[in-house]
Amino acid sequence: MTFILETKKLKRTGYLPAFLGAGIISCAFPVVNMLARSETFTSLPGNPFEILMDANWQMMAMLNILITICGACIMYHTEYADNGALKMDTLPVKPIRLFFCKFLITAEILAAIILFQIIVLTGCAVYWFPDSAFDFLTILKTAGFEWLVSLPTVTLMLLISSMCKNMWISLGAGVILVFTFSIFPQDNFVLRLLPFSAPYQTLSMADENVHIQLFCMVCVLQTAVLYLGETLYVKARRYLA
Amino acid sequence: MSVFSLLLVELKKIRRSKIFLILMIPVMMMWIPSTINAKMNFDVRGIPITPENNFFIQGFMGMTWFMIPATLVIGTVLLTQTERSQNGILKMLSLPVRTSTLCLTKFAVLIFLSMVQMVFCIGAYYASAAIASQLQNYNFILNPSFVCVNALALYWGAVPMAAVFWMFAILIKTPVFSVGLGLVSIVPSVLVIHTKMWFVYPMSYPFYLLMVQYGKAAEGMYATQIDRMPWLPVAVIITVLALAVSCIRFGASERR
Amino acid sequence: MHILETHNLTKTYGDFTAVSNLNLHIRKGRVYGFLGPNGAGKSTTMKMLLGLTHPTDGQVTIDGKTYPQDRVSILKEIGSFIEAPAFYGNLTGEENLDIIRKILGLPKSSVGEALDLVGLTQFRKRLAKKYSLGMKQRLGLAGALIGRPPILILDEPTNGLDPVGIHEIRTLIQSLPQQYDCTVLVSSHLLPEVELMAEDIGILNHGHLLFEGTMEALRLQAHAAGFPMDNLEETFLAMIDADNRKKGGAR
Repeated sequence: MTFILETKKLKRTGYLPAFLGAGIISCAFPVVNMLARSETFTSLPGNPFEILMDANWQMMAMLNILITICGACIMYHTEYADNGALKMDTLPVKPIRLFFCKFLITAEILAAIILFQIIVLTGCAVYWFPDSAFDFLTILKTAGFEWLVSLPTVTLMLLISSMCKNMWISLGAGVILVFTFSIFPQDNFVLRLLPFSAPYQTLSMADENVHIQLFCMVCVLQTAVLYLGETLYVKARRYLA
Repeated sequence: MSVFSLLLVELKKIRRSKIFLILMIPVMMMWIPSTINAKMNFDVRGIPITPENNFFIQGFMGMTWFMIPATLVIGTVLLTQTERSQNGILKMLSLPVRTSTLCLTKFAVLIFLSMVQMVFCIGAYYASAAIASQLQNYNFILNPSFVCVNALALYWGAVPMAAVFWMFAILIKTPVFSVGLGLVSIVPSVLVIHTKMWFVYPMSYPFYLLMVQYGKAAEGMYATQIDRMPWLPVAVIITVLALAVSCIRFGASERR
Repeated sequence: MHILETHNLTKTYGDFTAVSNLNLHIRKGRVYGFLGPNGAGKSTTMKMLLGLTHPTDGQVTIDGKTYPQDRVSILKEIGSFIEAPAFYGNLTGEENLDIIRKILGLPKSSVGEALDLVGLTQFRKRLAKKYSLGMKQRLGLAGALIGRPPILILDEPTNGLDPVGIHEIRTLIQSLPQQYDCTVLVSSHLLPEVELMAEDIGILNHGHLLFEGTMEALRLQAHAAGFPMDNLEETFLAMIDADNRKKGGAR
């Protein structure tokens, strides 16, 4: 029930259209890229789907992270702008449940977007590499993997937004995090496991290093730890207020 | 009221907003790893570039492609939110100040914030270059006139983009859209600078300018000359148009 | 029988004591007026009663339950209205109330009922951020009254209303215990207003409780202390003034 209420709160905030817009732009990205310079990629050896992932996923993942930041900011902005969160605090509902539902909403929309992105990439592969075979299981696995590795980012961003009443502070923090992790050298394995960095990882990159399971486990663990962090924050807030 | 005192008023409004922290942190984030990894600048991977130039360009790369634009987007949110959250804008509109002056002053604050970041960035560059020189026993420090002129050019090249972001923030009342649009528009600049039409896309200007520097420092990497035509007139037109639209629409929804 | 009690409730912020050793006793089925000048600590107390802030010391007991372990079950019984009206600006008045209704698990009809009670029915489809100050206040009240909770905690509910609105809300609050068996704690900085609504009264100044008891007892005590009696406003001012002077001219 809380889930439905949380969805309702997003009415007229532009949340869904924003995700939709970002989804469309990110899906247009590989198509435009291929239209502009398809020979660069069609001449490469190897699995077409992986070629396309390598060529486009960095940008698409970055767009996903950026929209996650915007989404988290707007979710908590509606809470704080007119003191809605204060009213929620006086109602018999556990604050952590509100957080959990916000997480669920973001995770679901992101799942839809990622699935769509992977489908578009597959479409590009089918169109520009007509004589190659496709393994649909791998494609599904890729979508699942990319979704899972983006969950810690979602949780961390929601945690930050829940702490900042001023939207632009959470936005600033999010943007700085994106920036910081985009300039760190990608060859450091530990850094790649962190939120805001893991979403750039493609399945084949993780596969080369036989790290898929490790990646998944670490990401689930991080999500759980960050969720615990919010639980503690919600408790501490009453003592600090 | 003179424009200057209005500017001081606008700067006062962002007191205690922690914006300087947001300007400072990315600069730190940029230069600390690049100091620590200074050794990597000797590994030029066959590109004909000197380590000190490599250090300068690699360091500024992250700033120009992402952080300068992102700072501007955050700045627009700060400026519009401080006005709208407690309805301060209504008070301002009821005072004897022309709305277009008000709008342009706020834009000037945005540029000022960006310039402050530039000063931080130059300072941080020299600090990190000095430390890296000590660590690696190699002089990484470039001529101050070269560094300052280039940094100024990069930030100056961001003005048209700032005008466009400012227009987004004024036209689009829902913050998520103006911010989202701003941030999303940064990402494709990596692709755009490799096309012939880069000059119609203001978000790519600083990155383009840096890439030309790169081309000068390393033969064959990129163009070595800035294409002033038709870039400059296009940039001026974009800036003037964006600012004109901003001035006309500033506070429009509050005055309805 | 006391439905709501506090025991040595204290809240300090750094070296500033907002509320000091407060012992409130609120009887079931009564309207309790909580009085004090601005900054006396009324809102801080009410926030502690709602579990919004954790007291530095002391305890709140509501219907035999305490914070933080019984938070959810306490809040199920309380309808509250805290300082600035709290709502979601992007939703209509009706949608705002519907969210509260669903969390409280009330029937659909309760939204209309609450809107009716505060006179917002004709504006129910308007976005809450487009409401006037008085309408926002009414929406906040509707959010407190929805579902007829057994305990109502209202922080300056008539702030920002016009004289007609003040009269309406006052009459409404007065009638609540009879309408349905509930207890009301209402704060104000105006004694004459509290006099019209409340049967019991507590007066707070600088975080200390100056007086607690019935309206009649207040009159007796004021008379005994030699405070002016022709007008309650003056009685109140004189009491606060005497207390401030006793504390060495704290203000």
